[in-house]
Amino acid sequence: MSTFISGGCKNGKSYYAQRIAKASGAPLYYVATMIPRDEEDEARIHRHRREREGWGFVTLECGSNILACLERADARGSFLLDSVTALLSNEMFPAGSTDPTAPERLAGELCEFVRRAPRTVLVSDSIYSDAMLYDDGTEAYRRGLARIDRALAAVCDNVLEVVSSQVIVHKGGLPL
Amino acid sequence: MILILGGSYQGKLDFAKSAYDLEDNDIFICTDETEAIDLSKRCIAYIDRFALNRVRAGLEPADALRDNPGLRPDAIVIATDISSGVVPVDATLRAWREACGRMNNLLAGRADEVWRLFCGIPQRIR
Repeated sequence: MSTFISGGCKNGKSYYAQRIAKASGAPLYYVATMIPRDEEDEARIHRHRREREGWGFVTLECGSNILACLERADARGSFLLDSVTALLSNEMFPAGSTDPTAPERLAGELCEFVRRAPRTVLVSDSIYSDAMLYDDGTEAYRRGLARIDRALAAVCDNVLEVVSSQVIVHKGGLPL
Repeated sequence: MILILGGSYQGKLDFAKSAYDLEDNDIFICTDETEAIDLSKRCIAYIDRFALNRVRAGLEPADALRDNPGLRPDAIVIATDISSGVVPVDATLRAWREACGRMNNLLAGRADEVWRLFCGIPQRIR
């Protein structure tokens, strides 16, 4: 059963996603999407890795070309992909340049990922409700992430919004 | 009246078109240059952009609806929710954010149905 989770920052999305992935009982894979760019990123990755210790996750480093990591894993396993937001950032802004085709491509790849690995939990971020007028690049990123979110919400069995660790079901049901 | 809320790019207009069988010429699209809304259209999209125009002109957007309640009884109003980010440093954007809150409350209070879109999925909240 596939699950798509979104919501605001620091509302408990990742923790809830980890619990869903763990509860399936299948081999656990953590798809690590962040490509470290500086010491701050390295420290963040180190902290996240420590937080996952003891959960039994095998970490698959995959900052881009997301389908490739399924070749190194059992597709019947339970996959946690956290986050779609970071993945799009890697794909859309590689080494300072901009790839406007990234959202469409990634939407296709992630839907295919869910098709091949049906026990996948994906985490994204609701960045759509602030009173800002952004530059064209940032606006294209927001539009692109929403494009991917909507594609994933259409194919996943469950679509959940996490608000202050409370879960709102928009599609399907509560996996836990 | 029907109010459709949600963040940017969540599928508000797509939902309105399919759920209420709208043609393109039933829809008035507001931009930040909209000084007056064509109230004869059944669907008024992105009323938050009209609000930005009014705020820049020093006016209260909700007044345009309160003083001139000429909305069709079957009107469908689409408003982007801009209420959940950091308080903007820019004073105009700050005023816009608050004006939209007042306007949405006014509209929701009058609405027969209020919907909220999340990742393309509609949820009726009134």
